[in-house]
Amino acid sequence: MTPTRTLSCITPPFILTRLLDSDNVEIRQAALATLLTTAQLRGERSVRGLIAGALATPADGRRSIFDCAHSTYLPSARLTRSENDEPVQDASVNRAYDGFGTTRAFFQEVFGRNSIDDRGLPLQGYVHRGNRYNNAFWDGRQMVFGDGDGQVFLDFTGSLDVIAHELTHGVTEHTAALEYHNQSGALNESMSDAFGSMTKQWLLRQTADQADWLIGAEVFTPHIDADALRSMKAPGTAFDNKLFGRDPQPDHMDRYVQAPDTEDGDNGGVHLNSGIPNKAFYLVATGIGGNSWEAPGHIWYESLKASTQTTDFQAFADTTYDKAGTLYGADSREQRVVKEAWAGVGIQITTAPTLGRG
Amino acid sequence: MRLSLATRGGMAAPIARRLPPQVLDTDRLPDDAVRELRRLVAAASADPGGAHPAPPARDAMTYTITVDDGPRSATLVSSDTSMSPAFAALLDHVQRHLG
Repeated sequence: MTPTRTLSCITPPFILTRLLDSDNVEIRQAALATLLTTAQLRGERSVRGLIAGALATPADGRRSIFDCAHSTYLPSARLTRSENDEPVQDASVNRAYDGFGTTRAFFQEVFGRNSIDDRGLPLQGYVHRGNRYNNAFWDGRQMVFGDGDGQVFLDFTGSLDVIAHELTHGVTEHTAALEYHNQSGALNESMSDAFGSMTKQWLLRQTADQADWLIGAEVFTPHIDADALRSMKAPGTAFDNKLFGRDPQPDHMDRYVQAPDTEDGDNGGVHLNSGIPNKAFYLVATGIGGNSWEAPGHIWYESLKASTQTTDFQAFADTTYDKAGTLYGADSREQRVVKEAWAGVGIQITTAPTLGRG
Repeated sequence: MRLSLATRGGMAAPIARRLPPQVLDTDRLPDDAVRELRRLVAAASADPGGAHPAPPARDAMTYTITVDDGPRSATLVSSDTSMSPAFAALLDHVQRHLG
């Protein structure tokens, strides 16, 4: 009979396992290290299993890309490329994988954010979704991309800012959780465009003056006369053609679109009125100068985190002014540029922040 | 039988709403394809799924399929994140024939 050895451990295993779920990475690592050590000494099967589970827990935005093979039923999609896997034959899979990696690195290196939820949420992408599908979306947990119909639209993974746009919807959901209608919804869209464009600029090392400020420049077929889905620099100018007319995005509150809060009305024009805060961010970035992801990006990121579900344009503008003062000083050049930028789109900063107004 | 498909929402919502509905007229389809389409319409009518996208979804599309079949007419509505497998099968079938 093998003698049973019992090791004393000042922290009971059930507490250590609870600590594996801690928000604090150092606490998680310490708990894991302790469990590893004690399990090595004890050789306990249950603890080894627990540790294996902890090690297998995807962390730090681990990527998984699935091939839908033109189905709309995501659970049937096949896992095609996981973190650290070599590139595969499928270019859409590789673009989604690389786009997630770039966006993840952008948020980590620029803002110190660990994936979508700042806790290392795994990044799951689904490509080749549906048949001739002209879209990309965030379903609340993962990002989904269509191939396009080949007549108007191409594969939506072809555009890094589109990939980053969808991933940023997740970031917004885990911060302000801006409601997806009317002004809060337009702000939600604008956050995705702003951080999507910044991701591309960061990768290309472009200054605000050098960037094209286009969203989805790569999603149209060559037959379509369109620069992109949207222009942050000049909302309302991204396209003008016989097939779907002129870009309807406003660039100023004077041209704010009062659309019905229905799906037919794009939930109050969330993809239309986003042109107004988009233009404001462009004006801030070019007004401050240099790289958009530096002072302008930090002002916007801190303001996003300070916003609520019902934050409207005025409240967000006031918050950016407040954050510019906190980060760079009251009456700093950055703060003055923020004020001028919002005035440029018809929003006057009020001195008292008005967060929470719906 | 005549089916029309209108798409709303999505990342390119301002463009989608300006594109005309796509129409599938089954007169040009073989009989077995029409029978299959009727079967898919019946299944999707019985269970189209949710009419609206699930709340956390962003940039999701909504589809309206209008079916005119002799004296009968039906309108089915569902979205990317709430459609039933039956609605998805009908949508896929319609889109393949439109392509």
